[in-house]
Amino acid sequence: MNSIRKTLLPITTFVRIDVKRLFRDKVAIFFVFVFPLIFLLVFGTIFGGDNDISFKVALLNNSKSDFAKSFAESSKGDKVLRVDEKITTLDQAKAKMNRGELDATIILPEGFGDVTNGKYPSGEAQLLYDQNNESAGQTLSSVLDGIFKGINSQFVANETPFTVKAQSTATEGLSRFDYTFSGLLGFTLLSLGIFGPTTVFPRLKQRGVLRRYQTTTIKVWQYFTGNVISNAIVGLLAVALMFITALLFFDLDMRGDYFSFATITILGVTMLFGIGLALGGWAKNENQAAPLAQLVTFPMMFLSGVFFPTFLMPELLQKITKFIPLTPVIDGIRMIVTEGRTIFDIGPQLLVIGGWTLIIYIIAFKVFRWE
Amino acid sequence: MVKTFKDIVIAKSLTKKYGKKTVVKGVSFEVKEGEIFGILGPNGAGKTTTLEMLEALRPIDGGSASLDGFDIATNPEKIKALIGVQPQTPSFEEKTKLTELIEFFAATYGEKVDPMKFLEDVQLAEKADSYPEQLSGGQRQRFSIATALVHGPKVFFLDEPTTGLDPQARRNLWELVQQVRDRGVTVIITTHYMDEAELLCDRVAVMDNGKIIALDTPKNLIQALLRKGFKKQMAVEQANLEDVFIDLTGKALRD
Repeated sequence: MNSIRKTLLPITTFVRIDVKRLFRDKVAIFFVFVFPLIFLLVFGTIFGGDNDISFKVALLNNSKSDFAKSFAESSKGDKVLRVDEKITTLDQAKAKMNRGELDATIILPEGFGDVTNGKYPSGEAQLLYDQNNESAGQTLSSVLDGIFKGINSQFVANETPFTVKAQSTATEGLSRFDYTFSGLLGFTLLSLGIFGPTTVFPRLKQRGVLRRYQTTTIKVWQYFTGNVISNAIVGLLAVALMFITALLFFDLDMRGDYFSFATITILGVTMLFGIGLALGGWAKNENQAAPLAQLVTFPMMFLSGVFFPTFLMPELLQKITKFIPLTPVIDGIRMIVTEGRTIFDIGPQLLVIGGWTLIIYIIAFKVFRWE
Repeated sequence: MVKTFKDIVIAKSLTKKYGKKTVVKGVSFEVKEGEIFGILGPNGAGKTTTLEMLEALRPIDGGSASLDGFDIATNPEKIKALIGVQPQTPSFEEKTKLTELIEFFAATYGEKVDPMKFLEDVQLAEKADSYPEQLSGGQRQRFSIATALVHGPKVFFLDEPTTGLDPQARRNLWELVQQVRDRGVTVIITTHYMDEAELLCDRVAVMDNGKIIALDTPKNLIQALLRKGFKKQMAVEQANLEDVFIDLTGKALRD
């Protein structure tokens, strides 16, 4: 019993001091807590909010009919059609379309909406769009088509035997931000796990700090364990901070349970920190460690779904990316946060993480040097 | 001066090679328990390498060494628990309080200690909440001594501890080392300052080019030289410039 306590004492003492040390270091606080938050705010603003599609259009009404007037009036409050009311002539509209400031121009010609056949108003609206903006033009024309169909049915009761009801396959209310968030968390864990130790350990070696530890009876595994635990604590805090920010400012839709979320975070930090530990533990100085860290980090950043989803990649590549260490972490977080799965539902991901963790730490132990 | 005659460190034909170069060439000596043993020599003589083999930090390529009865090559963990080490340029993790560092070093030996007691021993009690990067050179050397003694080692190794210190700090460090020895700890120290060796060491080994070329008390070595008919070219003054410096600036520590 006493010997177990003696074995654990170096680890617990190190963790306690190491976590305190981080909070005294302004640079470390910036990189661990502030920097990921800036990232989150930037990406959250880009991908956040309601993700409705809207078009900037000009509405040129040349008709004096009541129908045209009420159409123009109601379009002002439309979400899809955002009408630029400053534009009153076709020339202004064309100039703006050329510069790409305007998606399209809707022209209601003279006599549009007049009652000509004695029964109901009719007319043909024109849609002008720049040739460079064809997709917006096509989307808009079908949007307008839909609007007019709705109006038509008020005047002419007709049967519509065939209809299409479009429905997104994504579970309800899942915004693009919810999806991006897992990638951002993965990115934070990656930079925390790799860039931290690959700068810190070589620096400690060069200053002879680790060499001094070597003269004591502390063992490599004790030093490793202490580092892993303190990093897991710090990583969990950083992730919690991002999580709270996302909940408060970006309406993150958390569907999973917090136990599963914390577990995958800790497993992810531990594995990724192992990579940093292997590189930083092997390197004699920062010049050796820095390029290696970049070499490992960048492919993971682009192939593991940090910036864009892996399903957009060619199939062969997708098969490979599944086995890159960061991918199961991001996928796992995504499945828990956005799909509401639990840690027990993501077996394949845990298997890949577990396998890598084992390999990485074996390598880290083998290549570690105190000086 | 020497209190007991038990040999606590025994080195027999110690050899160290780096590639094809042999930097320590069959060095043999004994260190007696409770003495201050100096290893002298110019830079590159092999002092530090010899020390590192005795500290179980470098593999021994030839010969053997024992410390307190334990073979160093086969019991590195046991040896590390028995010794304290003061590196040439002590360096610590930054943004860490001195008390925390003392606690950590004690913990590496599986021990809990009262950090203040150790800081008081080296006159750093009022710096307890400082970080090591805020200490002066002399203070850092003193602090390093405190961290090396947290687990009560039997042998204390110091590698050129006074390099770069001002005369006041050097004198203070000598006093500290003597206090450590008075507590019964055997001290092995390397230096290339002869005044330091003469004042501090009970016995010295002079190393050059990987070999020990002389080993005796400072007094005996000087007398042996005089017997050979050596004479200083200038008459020896009753004081030297360092005495003048200390007389003018006082012995009080400046850091």
